[in-house]
Amino acid sequence: MKSLFKSAGLLVLAGVFALSGCSGGGESKNQAVNPDQDANFNKTGLPIVKEAVTLKMVSPKAALAPDYSKMEIFKRLEKQTNVKIDWENIPDADFAEKKNLLLASGDLPDAFYGAGFTDYDLINYGKDGTIIPLEDLIDKYAPNLKALLDRRPDIKLAITAPDGHIYGLPSWEENKLDTNPFFHVINKNWLDKLGLKVPQTLDEYTQALIAFKTKDPNGNGKADEIPLSFMHMQWCSDIAGIFGAFGIPDNLEHRIVREGKVIFTASQPQYKEALKYIHDNWYKQGLIDPESFTQDAAQYLAKGKTPDETLGSYVWWEVEEVVGPERSKDYALLPPLKGPNGDQMIGRNNGGGPGRGSFVITKENRYPAMTMRWIDQQYDPYMAAQIHWGPLDVVFKKDEKGKLVNLALPKGVSAGEFRQKVAPGTGNPGVITFDDFGKVVDMEPRAQKRAEYLEKYYTKYMKKENYPSIFFEPDELDKINRIEPELIKYVNTQRGKFIVDGEVDEKWDSYVKTLEKMGLNELMEIYQKGLDRYNANLKNK
Amino acid sequence: MNQLLKRKSKGDMWFDIVNYFMLTIVMLLVLFPLYFVLIASLSDPNLIYSGEVWFFPKGFTLDGYGRIFSDSSIWIGYANSILYAGLGTLIGVAVTVCAAYPLARKGLAGKSAIMWFLLISMFFSGGLIPTYLLIKDLHMLNTIWALVIPGAGGVFNVIIVRTFFQSTIPDEMWEAASIDGCSNTRFFWSIVLPLSKSVIAVMVLYHVVGFWNGFFDALIYLNDENKYPLQLVLRNILVQNQANSGMMIDVESYAAKMRVTELIKYGVIMVSSLPLLILYPFLQKYFVKGVMIGSIKG
Repeated sequence: MKSLFKSAGLLVLAGVFALSGCSGGGESKNQAVNPDQDANFNKTGLPIVKEAVTLKMVSPKAALAPDYSKMEIFKRLEKQTNVKIDWENIPDADFAEKKNLLLASGDLPDAFYGAGFTDYDLINYGKDGTIIPLEDLIDKYAPNLKALLDRRPDIKLAITAPDGHIYGLPSWEENKLDTNPFFHVINKNWLDKLGLKVPQTLDEYTQALIAFKTKDPNGNGKADEIPLSFMHMQWCSDIAGIFGAFGIPDNLEHRIVREGKVIFTASQPQYKEALKYIHDNWYKQGLIDPESFTQDAAQYLAKGKTPDETLGSYVWWEVEEVVGPERSKDYALLPPLKGPNGDQMIGRNNGGGPGRGSFVITKENRYPAMTMRWIDQQYDPYMAAQIHWGPLDVVFKKDEKGKLVNLALPKGVSAGEFRQKVAPGTGNPGVITFDDFGKVVDMEPRAQKRAEYLEKYYTKYMKKENYPSIFFEPDELDKINRIEPELIKYVNTQRGKFIVDGEVDEKWDSYVKTLEKMGLNELMEIYQKGLDRYNANLKNK
Repeated sequence: MNQLLKRKSKGDMWFDIVNYFMLTIVMLLVLFPLYFVLIASLSDPNLIYSGEVWFFPKGFTLDGYGRIFSDSSIWIGYANSILYAGLGTLIGVAVTVCAAYPLARKGLAGKSAIMWFLLISMFFSGGLIPTYLLIKDLHMLNTIWALVIPGAGGVFNVIIVRTFFQSTIPDEMWEAASIDGCSNTRFFWSIVLPLSKSVIAVMVLYHVVGFWNGFFDALIYLNDENKYPLQLVLRNILVQNQANSGMMIDVESYAAKMRVTELIKYGVIMVSSLPLLILYPFLQKYFVKGVMIGSIKG
């Protein structure tokens, strides 16, 4: 008993120590230097400072990339600006974890670069003063960014927090490619062989799948054909595109907007019809690859490269990536199919505005003005392109019109690998607007191709409206984070069950009841409120 | 000889046969995954996923190994891992044994208080952030010491070793030795340690495996790529983010990353687990004995 008391005493002591060890938020240890009295600092022109100054920045980096201090693009920036960056690079796989640790322990750099701050981070750390508001600095010291925000009020609206401050800087390649990632592909070669035409309606498509399964189109005498394979509820590889044939298109969030009203797709009768159809006509007949619900990207992409061609139909935003360049000639894209009631449409992806947490300045920074001038360099479209894809004379050269065009690659390296070694890449600071493409830099050939296909097959079947990426109030975010992950997980699990086991009619009512119990109505209310506010703001701009 | 054979009844024979049969099955179950990784590391990744590869390599290729051997970061990681495992094991085992010995002996003042103190630390810890702050204030961030010192002398290990000492080194031995004029230190060094080879071997193995497979501490405390242990280097190459809308334009980079990953995945498993596979048989004979002895108080 005595020893028990002793240990209890020790515990209390340990608790006290633990509490006193905390140090988050509060006042900064460093006084910011007033830029007006800093003789070393030039408010305009280059270099930014007369005597070299060092700033400490934390950033993620790709596995193949060297340390940023060794990257050509940053060496050049240092030469031009005289601002030296002391980089702490964290491999991107672990960045989120390490970032949270640094923030929670108060072990702060001057700035986070390519920071990937979530809305939640921006609001919370903005509120407690860990990161500083940037709008005044932008007005005074960031001509490039200011011009961009003046020209594009929608970007300004997107990066402004509900409290009116701007805490994080944008990152965007506005290529309009993300409207529909679900490119539905069918084996044209097999269709020809079997004397079928390219399906226009859902029923014709079903017939084609049945023929694929039963008629041995690859002619190897084995029933090894996979009529349809996909990845359940995964980006760019799900069959959400099919649901439009029943009157309400779907996307990964199960959330669409019609005439300013937010609709949750996965509780609508049309969605139910779609599930019934998919189970009865596809899954029950063995037309769906059972691994569709479990496979990861590597397995999925390998299915297209089997020794005998086995894939009849699949979903991926790039035909070649699944089946390889040789076989891709056998495959053709399918436009949205006509449903049983003549509906023909496809969902539009939500969000799609700029990322808003790609650069933040912390309270420890003694030279916020200088930092802002340094980062503003990267909001010049030419520099932004070099940050995202690679520097001049390494990846690009300027043609006579002043546009950046790709140089030939060094031997034996793929573009993707090379790019990771010479530039920080997509998701980092810098905005390339839609007008910049073709003027400042061309889209990647693959991206251009995708844009063409989108235009040709899908865009005309889409409604303009989608749910924009809205910056919510902190309490709204709390509610969303509380309800949504669980809810979406349940919806997706159930979707899989309905497709595999059927029994949609019997279980539908209890499914909808469960959704309501989980807080669906509350969630939709928040989304509706957010959307109304957003639309009102957009009108006032 | 005949006598011996006769002594086995039919029942014994059957028992043996069934026994061997079962053990063989278990052995195959354990061996096959290893074997599979070996052949997979020599096969074309696409064929692995389509289920073509299962007993012989298909689409034989050495590209994966070529890539691994030409990648300097993997070898730097290798060297670091060996250094951390070596130094960490040395420190860890020394601390563990030195802590366990006095706790196993009678007559240490405040023994039960110390024991309680250790036990509490086994069940309650400060958590990640306070620990990080501590390491930071000790100026150990981004140094080897952050990896090898804080974890030294795990309480669980101390208890195992202490129990071993209690059950195998009788107090009478110390009495006899001290009558001959042996000092405490001398006794520990010349008598206790040689008698504890098995438990020390077990501790060495625990520590080596722990350091070799550990990546979390390195992830939290190290910033400099040249200090990363092998596991962290591999993690950075192999852990992939799911395809998402962020990779909209840069499919090219995503695809490149995937290709590299698939190609070297199995090869690096081979390369990184080889040292442990080599080490294991040498310590195996102590292993079973040591753990068991430490677990029962004689």
